[in-house]
Amino acid sequence: MSGREIYEKVHEVRSKALDRKTEATMILFDKDGGKRTRTLTEYGKRADPEAYKVLVVFKSPPDLKNVGFLIHAHTFANRDLWAYFPEYKRVRRISTSSQDDSFFGSDFSYDDFGGPPNLDDYKFSILREDVIDDKPCYVVEVTPKIHRKYTRYIAWVAKGLWIHLKIDYYQENAIYRTGVFTDIRIIDSIPTPFKLDMENKKTNHRTVLTIESIQYHTHFPDDLFSERSLERSGR
Amino acid sequence: MKKEKKSRNDPPNAISCRPPVLRDGWLDRIILITLCMALSIVSPSFADDSLSVSGRLDLRGVYALDDDSVKEDPSLIGRIKIDTPPSAWRFHSWLEGGWDGTVKRPPRDNSLFKNYDQVYQSNTPYLEFKELYIAYSPNDLDLRAGIQRFAWGRLDEYPPNDLLNPWDYTEFILKPLEDRKIGVPSVSAILSQGDWTPEAVWVPVFVPYRLPMPDERWAGTSPAATLARTIPNSEITPQEPAMPDRTFWNGNFGLRVKRSGDIEWAFNLFHGFDPRPEFKTTALTIMPQGQSIIIDPGYVPAFHRITSIGFDAAAVRGDLSIRAETAYSIGRYLDIRQELWGYPTVPSPGMFPLNPIEQKHDTLDYGVGMDYRLFEDALLTLQAQQTIIFGNVDQLYERKAETILWANVRVGFMNQKIETNLNVAYNPEHGDHMAKANAFYVFSDFWKAGVAADTFNGPPQSIFGRYSRNDQLEAEIVYSW
Repeated sequence: MSGREIYEKVHEVRSKALDRKTEATMILFDKDGGKRTRTLTEYGKRADPEAYKVLVVFKSPPDLKNVGFLIHAHTFANRDLWAYFPEYKRVRRISTSSQDDSFFGSDFSYDDFGGPPNLDDYKFSILREDVIDDKPCYVVEVTPKIHRKYTRYIAWVAKGLWIHLKIDYYQENAIYRTGVFTDIRIIDSIPTPFKLDMENKKTNHRTVLTIESIQYHTHFPDDLFSERSLERSGR
Repeated sequence: MKKEKKSRNDPPNAISCRPPVLRDGWLDRIILITLCMALSIVSPSFADDSLSVSGRLDLRGVYALDDDSVKEDPSLIGRIKIDTPPSAWRFHSWLEGGWDGTVKRPPRDNSLFKNYDQVYQSNTPYLEFKELYIAYSPNDLDLRAGIQRFAWGRLDEYPPNDLLNPWDYTEFILKPLEDRKIGVPSVSAILSQGDWTPEAVWVPVFVPYRLPMPDERWAGTSPAATLARTIPNSEITPQEPAMPDRTFWNGNFGLRVKRSGDIEWAFNLFHGFDPRPEFKTTALTIMPQGQSIIIDPGYVPAFHRITSIGFDAAAVRGDLSIRAETAYSIGRYLDIRQELWGYPTVPSPGMFPLNPIEQKHDTLDYGVGMDYRLFEDALLTLQAQQTIIFGNVDQLYERKAETILWANVRVGFMNQKIETNLNVAYNPEHGDHMAKANAFYVFSDFWKAGVAADTFNGPPQSIFGRYSRNDQLEAEIVYSW
């Protein structure tokens, strides 16, 4: 099996998981032990003729309540992004160059809330096999052909489940951040990590995202993913 | 402005300059607002299938750097937002109130809420519904009725198509654009049809803009304030203007048709009262009364209907998020230069008719803005905008073309535990400029505190120069729930 073939399977699982509604809690941990909490709702839709659409709306903290973020992915390589800040009452288009930036102060990026990437934009090579939490994995090196914040990724992909269990994000030769994905449950035959732990190795800041509930095959109407819906927090 | 306090009965439509005293209803007002704030704080923030309640309490102090400027007391402002859960029928409320430190006069009446009948509303403590509406959204239609604020156009400052809500100028440039807007009783309808979104708004009740009293900190320079400085023991009693008739045809109407796509654009049409402040003259009156000199400055806010046709657009190109906006306004009134108003050079008691000061012009406003990500958590926003005034501008302070250049840098540190912002603006025609900088530290999900510095410079009649005595430092504590 080649690295590309492994990622075709990962892409297939992630594509199946696009139609969903997720309620999640993000806890941001300072290196000094302080913590901040954000709760959010994420709506996703596998679209046609587009690739997918995603709407994320914050429920807390008070400063972020009703702040929203909308993605229309025309293809897996080309997407439009909008953000809505109730304070300004205006929907703002944002450049895709922000996709690797911190997602509202967390250690996740905007890209982490999108769908699967365009496989043609990356090179894949299998480094070795490994076992994490008793799950056999392929360890795959993923190198972007396009300009991204991270120069390469080392990903642990669970055999059979075809989801990530861990990813090291590199800038040059140093690990910038590490994501560990645990509490894997099978929901509607889709393997789903319920706990996503992302640590920034440079700042020692850490974010734990816990899925409180998830519902697949939601088939939301298109108008849920409109600017109007973004302004109304998905209502 | 030094004044000797006096005791007298207020003349009709005049504003007392006495220090705050507990009058009938004043104590009730304090108790009620305090209760509102206390209740809102103890009420938990929540957002579930029953009701969503959230709020904010903001304690702010100002240190004026110019000893000769009007000082400001600390302010305590609270807001509570209530939303019913998603359904075809929804209710939304945004109530704001508290003690406004810029205001040092007692309320002129015992009304608890800010009203739609006066330009000079120096009441504190106060309550105001910034928004209060019912929405009905069957299918693709969204109907709303109640007190609403609208955000039309694309620019961050002075969006020329954003004309439906008059502004509260009592702290003018210090407040974010949306906080300056006064909610207006209105009916609106939005239809979402694929990429097309037409929106229509009717504002049946005329709502005037609000101005600070001439002796308040954010009044800026004015002929009345300048005159008062030359007369010891003087008090300015500006007159409230007569409000336009509140008839169907005197309402404000707006139509916006927006189209989504690679380039998003919208057509805007507005017909109604110009929300920008402008004055007409009566007669300057300088009248001794007891130990004081009462000055009626001889000009009152004026309201004129305009028609504005505009276009705005936004697109992303590479690393830039770009937006642009233009509006052609027909029949806008502007005031001539203040030195032509006919104020006497040597003031003395009496009545002095002033010159007509209004001129009617068509104007073209346009501007372009863009966001550029400097690095992670650092966003640079630039904006250039210009107003072209048609016709003879010889008597105006404004030039044929007036430009404002804006730059804003927002940088977050430590995963946005520290939020910083620097905002600068420059008007090349008159050389006036402004800079605002602030930094906040986020202690927790509920508490944050910050400091800010503001500086203004330029000629007295220019947009930023009129506040050149208002350089200040601020400290602020915010509790959100």
